[in-house]
Order: sequence, then C-alpha cells, then structure tokens
Amino acid sequence: MPKLIIDNREIEVPEGIKVIEAADRAGIYIPRFCYYAELGAVGACRICAVKFVDGPVKGIEMSCMINAQDGMVVSTTDPEARDFRRHVIEWLMMNHPHDCPVCDEGGHCLLQDLTESCDHGIRRYKGKKRTYVDQYLGPLIQHEENRCIQCYRCSRYYQEFAGYKDLGVMGIAQRIYFGRYAAGVLESPFSGNIIDLCPTGVYTDKPSRYTGRRWDYERVPGICINCSLGCHITVSARYREIVYLEGRYSGKVNGSFICDRGRYGFFYANLEERPRQGRVRGEDVPSGRAITMAAQRVKEVSESHGAAAIAVIGSGRSSLETIAALTHVCKVQGWRGPVLFDSRVSSESVRTAVSCIAQELAVSMKEIESADFILTVGADPINEAPMLAMAMRQAWRKGAGVAAIDCRSLDWPFQFEQVTAAPDDMADFLAALENSETTVISDRFVAQIKSIAAKIRACHRPVVVCGTEITDSKIIYGAAGFVKAMRQAGQEAGLFYTLPAANSYGAALLDEIGETAEDLIERIESGEIKALVIVESDLWDTFSDRQRLIQALEQLELLVVADFMATEILHRADIIIPTLSIFEAGGIYVNQEGRAQWSPPAYAGGTPIKITGQGGHPPRIIRPDIPAGDISPAWRMAWWLADRQPPASHDLLLDWMGKTFPVLEKAANFTSEGIRLYLPEARRKTARETGGRKIQSLGEYLLLPVAAVFGDEPMAQRSPCLEGYAKHPEMWMAASDARLFDASDGDAARLQLPYGPLELTLRLSERIAPGTLIVYRCPDLFWQQFARSSRFIVPKDRIRIEKKA
Amino acid sequence: MLPETYKSELKDRLQKVGNPREMVVDVMLEVQEFYGWFSDEALEQAAVLLGMSSLEIEELATFYNTIYRQPVGKFVIHVCDSVICWMENGYGELIDHIGKKLGIGMGETTPDGLFSLLPACCIGYCDHAPAIMINKTVYGDIAPAKMDEIIETLRQEK
Repeated sequence: MPKLIIDNREIEVPEGIKVIEAADRAGIYIPRFCYYAELGAVGACRICAVKFVDGPVKGIEMSCMINAQDGMVVSTTDPEARDFRRHVIEWLMMNHPHDCPVCDEGGHCLLQDLTESCDHGIRRYKGKKRTYVDQYLGPLIQHEENRCIQCYRCSRYYQEFAGYKDLGVMGIAQRIYFGRYAAGVLESPFSGNIIDLCPTGVYTDKPSRYTGRRWDYERVPGICINCSLGCHITVSARYREIVYLEGRYSGKVNGSFICDRGRYGFFYANLEERPRQGRVRGEDVPSGRAITMAAQRVKEVSESHGAAAIAVIGSGRSSLETIAALTHVCKVQGWRGPVLFDSRVSSESVRTAVSCIAQELAVSMKEIESADFILTVGADPINEAPMLAMAMRQAWRKGAGVAAIDCRSLDWPFQFEQVTAAPDDMADFLAALENSETTVISDRFVAQIKSIAAKIRACHRPVVVCGTEITDSKIIYGAAGFVKAMRQAGQEAGLFYTLPAANSYGAALLDEIGETAEDLIERIESGEIKALVIVESDLWDTFSDRQRLIQALEQLELLVVADFMATEILHRADIIIPTLSIFEAGGIYVNQEGRAQWSPPAYAGGTPIKITGQGGHPPRIIRPDIPAGDISPAWRMAWWLADRQPPASHDLLLDWMGKTFPVLEKAANFTSEGIRLYLPEARRKTARETGGRKIQSLGEYLLLPVAAVFGDEPMAQRSPCLEGYAKHPEMWMAASDARLFDASDGDAARLQLPYGPLELTLRLSERIAPGTLIVYRCPDLFWQQFARSSRFIVPKDRIRIEKKA
Repeated sequence: MLPETYKSELKDRLQKVGNPREMVVDVMLEVQEFYGWFSDEALEQAAVLLGMSSLEIEELATFYNTIYRQPVGKFVIHVCDSVICWMENGYGELIDHIGKKLGIGMGETTPDGLFSLLPACCIGYCDHAPAIMINKTVYGDIAPAKMDEIIETLRQEK
C-alpha cells in the first residue's frame, strides 16, 4: 500500500487510486468539476491541479490523473498550484452568465464555491459571451445551457454510467452543447441524477423551481420508500411541505444515485386532498377526537360481537413502528390481524423470500456491482426496483455476464441473455441450471441452459436476483437453494430478492400467520367480522373484485380508515383518521435484503403554507399551533384505538419493540447504514412442493399484470409531475401466438373480461413466453381484476384483435 | 429517401465489420453525398441504418467540419483558420478578398448555390500557407489573383 504525503499529512492508501481520492480519504478537498467518484476520472476540467513537490512525479499535475504512489509529496496549497487553478477557474467562468441571483443552483453551486475558493473575483474578459437556446427536457428537469462549463459529468453519467442514448454532447470548441437531438422528455428513468451531478445550474429541479435556497430548507437524511430497495436520499422541506429529494451516498445500498420514481414520488405528502382532519360520518372533527370516537365504536362492536369481530389491515408502506404497534394491539385485544398482504400469492411469496434470506446468502445492492455473473429469475429490476438495474449495469460494465429467466420482453440498459420461460416453467429452468438436469425442459432450450450453466460455474461471485411478483414459492426457494449449492461448491454466490413494497420485509418479520385481505373479506361476508380498521392501505386499489368489496364493506357495522394519502377507500369510511407521512413521523423501513434503516422526520407536519395561504401570503392569523399539526403517527393511534397508552417517546418505542419482538432485538441500535434483521431459524418455513404444475391447455392464455416503473406504485402515482410517465395500456403477446390471431404490432386488442371489455394496444415480441399475455400496470387500467391469485386464464375466444387503420 | 440498393449494400458491409460504429464516418459521408448536405432526414436514416440513436449521430456530425448540417453550395471553400496561415503576409486581405469576390461572408452561400465559405482549423498544408480546401481538393500558396482564377475555373465547370 503506497504511503504519500499530502499537505504535510502522511497517509497510506490502497494501490491504484488517484491522488484526488487519496486526498479525499485524508479529508483534504481538492477542487474538481469533471471528476466524480462514481464516474471516475477524465482529466478534462484542469481545476484539480496540485503541485508534486517530491517523489516519482514532479511539478504541476492533475490530481485526478495521477495514481497515488509511494514517496509522493503533494501540496494543494503551493502558490504555483493555486495560481494555476485561479487561471483555470477564470477561463471556465469566461462565458458563464452572472445570473446567480435568479439561478436555482445558487447557494449550493459547486462552480460558485470553487470560483470563490480559487480566488477569482474580477472578470477580465471583455468579449461577448456565447449563448445557447435551451431545450425542453420534460416536466422534471429545467435546462439552462448558458451556464455550462463543459465538465461532461451529465453526458458521461447519462450514456456511460446509466446506459441511455438520448442526452449527450454535440458540437465542438465554443459551440459545444449538452442536450438532446431534439427537445423532448428524457427517456431514462434515472434522469434526475444529472441535477445532483451538474456542478452548476444547467440542470435544475423543475417542480421546485424558484422555491428557495438550500439554506432555507429543513434538510435531513432520509430513506426512499417508493420500492423495496431503501435507497438513501436527502429530504428538503420548507413551509410545511417537501420541496425536493436528492440522492445521498450509501456504500451499501445505492451509491450516489436514485431513480426518478424515488426522486419525484413524494408529492402525496404535499397534496391538498390528503386527509388532515378527522372525519366522523361526514363531519370534520379534530384528529384526536376521531381517534377517541373510533376507539369508542370499536369497543362497542367488541362488547356486542366479541373482540374477534374486529379486524385490522395494514400494509408494507407503513413504518416498522406502525406494523409493530398494530401487531401488538391486535394480539392483546384479541382482534384479527393485522393483515399485511394483499393476496395469498404475495403473502406466500414475500414470506418465503424473507424466510430464505440469511446472513451468509444476502448481498447488498452495492455488492451486486462487483458480481461477475448475474442470473435473474422472474425479476424485472427496471420496473420493480429501478436502482437495481443500475447496480447490475455497473457489474456488466466491469465484464459480468447477465442472464434472465423470464416471460416478459425485458428491456434493460445493458446486454443480457434471456431464457424465455412461462411462469410455470421458470422453476424447471432454474433447477436445470443448478444440477444440469435438462430432461424436464424443452429441447430447444437445452443448449442455451447448458451454456449459461457453464458460465455460472466458471465465475467466482455470481448473484441470483429473484423477483416475488410473478414467481411462486417454489421458484423463490429454488433461487436460495441454487445459491446455497454454489456456495457449497466454493463460489461466493449471493442472493437478492425484490419485494413488492418498502416494508414488505418488515411485515413478514412480524407477521407469523400471513393472513390476506381475501381471507378477511370472506369473514366479513360470513358475518364473522363486523368492524374493519384499515391503516395506511387501500383495499380499493389492491382487491381484485370491486363488486364483492363494495358489498362486503356495506355489511360492516364500522369502517375506520387511517391514512396519510387520499385513497379511494377513504370515501367509504365511517371514521377517517389522518396519519403522518414518513417525512413528518419518520420511520424504520426494512429493505429487501433485511436492512432496517431509520428515516428521521424532515419537518414537524401541518398543512403546507401554500394551501393555508391559497397560493398567496399566508393568513395573518395569530395562533399558537400549526394548522393540522395535531396529527399523530399511526403507531400512536394504534394504541389509542385500543384505549391504551403508547410508549411516551420514539426512543421508548424502540426499546419496547426490541423487548416485545425478539426478531427486532437489535432494532434500537442503528448505524447510518442500517442493521440487518433476519428471521430466526425456528421461524423459517421449510420448503414444500407447491401444488405442482398447473395445467394450462392450448388456446388458453395466462393474463399477467406486471410492474411498470411509473405505473403502479401507489405513492409515486400521486405525483402530478409524473402523470405523463405511466405507460399507455398495452398487451404484449408472443410473436408465435400472434400468428394464430393474424395480428401485428400496434393492432387494437379487446379482451372480454368479467368486469367488461378491456381495450389495449397489442405489442408483439419474440421474447414473450407463448401462452402468456403481459399487461403493464397503469392507472388507466383496472388491472386489479385479473391480478387475483396471479393466474387469470383467458380463453382464446375472449380475445379480439382489430387491425390498425 | 436513400435508394434501397444503397441500404442493402450497406447492410452487407455492416455485417462484415465487428461493430457498426466503426463505419459511422463513412456512412455520414456517403449519405451526405446523396443529399448534398447532412439534413435531419439524412441523419435520422443514418441512425436507423447504424442502429444508433439520433443523438449519437448528431454528436459526431456536429464534431466534424466536413459534415454539413446546413445546406451548402456546390463548392465548399474551407479557408484555413490556423496559426501558420495567419503568419503569412496578406492573410487578412486574402480573406477579405475572397468574401468580396463571392459577395458573401464566412458561413454563407452564394445566391446561385455555387459557393459556400467556411473557416477550417488546420488542413495540414502549412508548407504552402495560406491554404484552402475546396470539396476534396487542397490548394496552397493562395494569393488574391490565384484565388480569382480558381473561382472562375470552378464557375466554368459548374
């Protein structure tokens, strides 16, 4: 390990890192524009010049271009180096407009900071500045090319790191231009990162334009809950609303970047229609009053029908605190629940995955970047857990092979090999890869499977990524079994599941029964359940049979709904109780690898000033409290509903959680990287054969609703700026099946389903498994109706194809 | 639209090279030859043929100075705009002279569509500075009289 001296400090660093990174490790900041740790060095901007005083290199050199070597003596403060940097910043500033006062980057602008710190104050250049026409890049990012200093971070990130081809650099010399071929919405679902990356104000956040300066905001480190990965973010709040989110570095989860769903999926917390008052039978009441009345009514039902006539529904979008409180309250009160899963299939899949994850098998998302082969089974990262696709791309860039067993026409920003398998066949393919047993699979796949198996055997750090949305527990077990077998064979194999919601893992840790909403509806129908308490869950959005749901809800004596979002089910509630979002209450969320992470509150809550002031100046009413500042987090409400006293503080709550639930024993001792929680051996499910193959006959089609990055996540769906991003209703069909219908790409497909006809645009692909019809979930489509039990079979005569004009 | 024969011939050639990107410059020049300049239509067709995004082609097309993203005259006069030519006596007057002779400024095309005038960074003919390049022909030791002669000859040729 080379030892070198930077600014009179001796440090020892790993072989092969650059001097600028060595300085970072020693806490010495060298100015930089083009250099960015995750993008690597290119030596384009010349601002990181330092003086090499002694050792193998001498004189002024770029610290991002020279490897740290033994015996180097480096000075960042040498007069010659400072003079060099002063000139560099002067030329970089030559064309830069003096529009800092109206630029949203002002206040957190790297160019501004380095211009100051490199001692450039007076402009000498008297000529005309070059100017550009800006482009419309969509509703998320504002383009202002005049401010560009040609550091290339955006184009390198966009094309090399992220793998998209619609933003880059054009022209030469003084005409250089960063943008698109033609104005238009950026295609990458990771585009927002160029806002964080740009060292000046070329790309700024559009929804929060002209909202404030960074020092105006309440800023806290947070955790993203728009999928199960739990990426690290920085939350900025002002005037009682969230302004914007940024990526925050995590060496275990996401690195520096986040996806656009996570970045812009927070607007549900700001919306006017969000419940901010209690409501009892159509009348507004203070939130505390609604809780007391709900507790009273629950008690009445309990007295007349028994405690088991009360049921509680929660969800994977609640914090671990809320899930723990609901679990506890149900147990001590004798209520049914909490039901934390939508359907039997998802309950089974998630609980199986959590049961299979163990300390020695799990890999973090960041570790995936150093895998040398990645096999996915029934997983579509770009749609289910977007940042996972970025991690896989980084592995691929370093030479890792990627193979996918899936029935969808996967579209990822890197090369991969797909084995097109119907959902029922995926387990067989997985088994064939594991033990080279190829008799169960179709002949035409044998060569492909054998070649993939050989590639996996030849590598050292393979990772198996397994989805839980279109897979069954047999596949989920199979993935863990394969990883175990590889580990026994001496490979450092890792296992990575994706789960449906931010806290699905937490739910599975606490839920020992795995009851589902379907089970509850049956019990409501039979008259067993008389009162239903729904906490941060939307049955309307998750239950497949709406007619049945409406009838069941009408049979209830009491429906209490508590939520921080304006869900559909609220309209049917007898009592509405508002709760706090993650930004106001904070919360622990356990990501899909079992990493429990604490996201602290960003602001105290209350109705945004934009709403109380109706867009103008806030009302000049002097009051001691915050409007709608009396809302409680759902975990407190849980205790109050049972007429019990919750722990007095969050710290006491964590103590209580650790003592009450052995699996959460470590929950109170958090580090910034979270803590990994696993099910104890005794609670792990053992593998069992699930039902065997379900026979699907010829002329029948399995209709499968699948995740879409902007289509189905309940929180991000409420962001006005993401509205145009959901896919239009499409149905994908195998090209070979299309021949039977004489159909071609772009035709209109019409499905006769029990809920009425469904109109979709037909898309064809060779990579769709024959006999499967894939529909990407989108808000315009009542896909829930065929999500039931994930096996919705459509006979051929129910499918009509109309030729496009 | 590009002729189908060209497209199919190109497809064969692309199959022979390992990576279609290797042929980007050739394709841009050939397509430009067909259209007379590298129009949006030309660019978009080249992108499809090469399996690249329009932006990726634009990145290259706007980098090279003999790919013309705007219509140009039949003869494109690239006047060297680099340090060796600047050092020659009378360089400034020569530039003024060419402009006056054609009646256009740098970056413009004569109304009859015959000549375009563009500056070029070094064209590698420094030993015969000042130098110009017209389409694919390089001319050295240019003086106003010689320039007139060249222009007249080309006018006859048209």
